[in-house]
Amino acid sequence: MYKNRKTGIIGVIITIVILILVVILSNTDIKEISYLENIFNSIVMPIQNGLTYLKNKIAGNDSFFVEMDTLKAENEDLKKKNSELEQSLRELEIIKSENDTLKEYVNLKDKYPEYQTIPAYIINRDINNYTKTIVINIGEKDGIKPDMAVIADQGLVGHVISTTENTAKVQTIIDTSTSISSLISTSREAIVVNGTLEDNSTLRATYIPTDATLLENDNIETSGLGGIYPKGIHIGTIKQIVNTKNSIDRYAYIQTAVDFEKLETVLVITNEKEE
Amino acid sequence: MKKFLTILGIILTFFIIYFLQANFFTWFTIAGVMPNLFIILVIFIGLFIGKKSGLVFGLLFGIYLDLLIGKSIGISGIMLGLIGLLSEYIDKNFSKDSRLIIMLIVAVSTAIYEIGIYAFQIIRWKAMLEILPFLKILGIEVFFNVILVIIIYPIFQKIGYMVENLFKTKQFLTRYF
Repeated sequence: MYKNRKTGIIGVIITIVILILVVILSNTDIKEISYLENIFNSIVMPIQNGLTYLKNKIAGNDSFFVEMDTLKAENEDLKKKNSELEQSLRELEIIKSENDTLKEYVNLKDKYPEYQTIPAYIINRDINNYTKTIVINIGEKDGIKPDMAVIADQGLVGHVISTTENTAKVQTIIDTSTSISSLISTSREAIVVNGTLEDNSTLRATYIPTDATLLENDNIETSGLGGIYPKGIHIGTIKQIVNTKNSIDRYAYIQTAVDFEKLETVLVITNEKEE
Repeated sequence: MKKFLTILGIILTFFIIYFLQANFFTWFTIAGVMPNLFIILVIFIGLFIGKKSGLVFGLLFGIYLDLLIGKSIGISGIMLGLIGLLSEYIDKNFSKDSRLIIMLIVAVSTAIYEIGIYAFQIIRWKAMLEILPFLKILGIEVFFNVILVIIIYPIFQKIGYMVENLFKTKQFLTRYF
């Protein structure tokens, strides 16, 4: 099998290490690896400081270095205060996150009082890179039917495409085959919003009227046309407008209101409450 | 009895892969892209068991996946069945002893499977055609699958020949080409 078994094992181990590194690096935000920045800085900075000192000496403006000791002491003091503040901030963040979770679970219904809704948990997510469907833990037994709209605390999630007795499949708005008739909340112009392959929090707005005024951070909501999504549900905000040569073809990228990576609880709208 | 246990083992592996894909690989991704281990499993069946079992298992696994999470029933079945059938034909013409050949088979099969699935999305569900994002995801997925094959190749080959000896009475001597 192997000419040299040991070499084969080492090869496999190296491949595993490379794979783990690729996974970590490709999913890490540059802000989260500031410790790496610190390491690289500590290699270059002492030399850079020395060079700056020399440059200032030659230029004759070395008065800056006279107050170095005072500044160092002040810096230490500030660092101490900063770490104390960070500690309290962390504690507050924990309380805030607990509060958010409780609010999500208990008061989710209160946010949409005009609709009759049923809360549900996401029990399964798509295992394909090109479709974005989810499975929720309520089904026909709870009165769920295809084409019912699904929302979350922050906004629109998608619509039910099929049901079993105890579960329902939901096609999310980030799925590439989703098209939603929408409105720009400020100018009330009608647009069509589609899911894209770009990432899990971006939608694409097309069919933008040529005379429509589009601004970044404008809110987008459902128009109520099409018969699936009720009117006025928040979809997201415009994050980038792409102008093309022909203004008919211009499009915009929309940041979804819902964070689909962290989504756990949803509400299925069974019908609109009668006044 | 041994054949029955092997088939049971394959079904069990399918479920292990399913839970890996639905849990572990939803966060262990390369730039948000998951691998597709089902393709590797079906290739394994096609290469080492043969007798159209790649087609049958591919079809059944795919239909089951569509039932669980798919938007329409059948396309994953058809594509996985096709991959199973394809690997049986490849088995007759190429050596399984070469790690490079297995890596190539997995790369090409992943590309065929995902192009088929995406084309179906466009035709049946009127999805927008986004060539560049699609190629980016496809490239990463192919790379991920190939890396996984490099890692599991020793087990893949060892278990593979054990299974092959059980199921294939008439041995083709293709591995000596």
